[in-house]
Amino acid sequence: MAKSTKPIIRIHNSETNEVIDREMTDDEFTKYQADKELENQREAEIQAKAAERQAIADRLGLTADDLKILLG
Amino acid sequence: MATTTNYGWTTPDDTALVKDGASAIRTLGSSVDTTTKALNPSTTLGDIEYRSSTANTNTRLGIGTTGQVLTVAGGVPSWAAAATGGMTLLSTTTLSGATVTISSISQDYLSLFAVITGVTNATADGAFQCGPNNNFGVTSMIITDNCVTPLFGSYAVNSIRLSPDDGKPDRTSANNCLTMRIDNYTTSTYKPVQVYGYFNVSGNIYDRGYFGMGGIALTTGITSLVFNNAGGNLSTGTVLLYGVK
Repeated sequence: MAKSTKPIIRIHNSETNEVIDREMTDDEFTKYQADKELENQREAEIQAKAAERQAIADRLGLTADDLKILLG
Repeated sequence: MATTTNYGWTTPDDTALVKDGASAIRTLGSSVDTTTKALNPSTTLGDIEYRSSTANTNTRLGIGTTGQVLTVAGGVPSWAAAATGGMTLLSTTTLSGATVTISSISQDYLSLFAVITGVTNATADGAFQCGPNNNFGVTSMIITDNCVTPLFGSYAVNSIRLSPDDGKPDRTSANNCLTMRIDNYTTSTYKPVQVYGYFNVSGNIYDRGYFGMGGIALTTGITSLVFNNAGGNLSTGTVLLYGVK
């Protein structure tokens, strides 16, 4: 038997309470990868913003603890 | 012939002959019987009567079914189903695998309310998300961490960000938990969404409570919710999905 190469997904039918665990179809896998790529891009934007924030903190001479006090 | 004051039953006159007594009594008894039956038309256990539009004549109302309540319709009493409200548990789903779909969501409610607890994943830290109708096309909501740091985002969303925006939720923390509410979920217009929760966030000072809000920009009703974690396969967690009326 060929080894599974695609991720396993779970589908829970809330009407019948049937739960199915199965491998993704080709279409599902394509969409899954596209969604993941989108999330990676978004994560990169978030990290860039965090870096900008850190740069500002550095310029002001603020440590992580200082920020925690200021914003917490 | 004399008659009674209230129901007009015929009675013998004071001058009536004794020989007519039996007939008079029979007539009176028959009238009493007719009136009594008109006032008490019950035939079956649980019947009740109410005044009809005809004087001295009541209408029979048969007993309702279990759970029904007495109400008024068209100006007369009737039995009807009791008004329902509150939350109904639609499903209890264990998170496992690359994605978890809750499908065939009933369209009989006004809102969806999900309580999600113990969310971890097996591979790496990453954002936890929900795609209504498997739609992850446009992300972002207004998310704040510790209720002090407003982070950018779009008010109109397709997918729902379920974890704090500013960093990756710690994949191993079984304390990761949240509630999600979607109103108007069966309509073809935007659907308000709110998320409140706690996620332990790796390498970030904002590792406490947060909330998010937005409008789901889908023009169809929501029939399924798909959960995933950008960091990898979901490992543990439970989703209690309620319908709210």
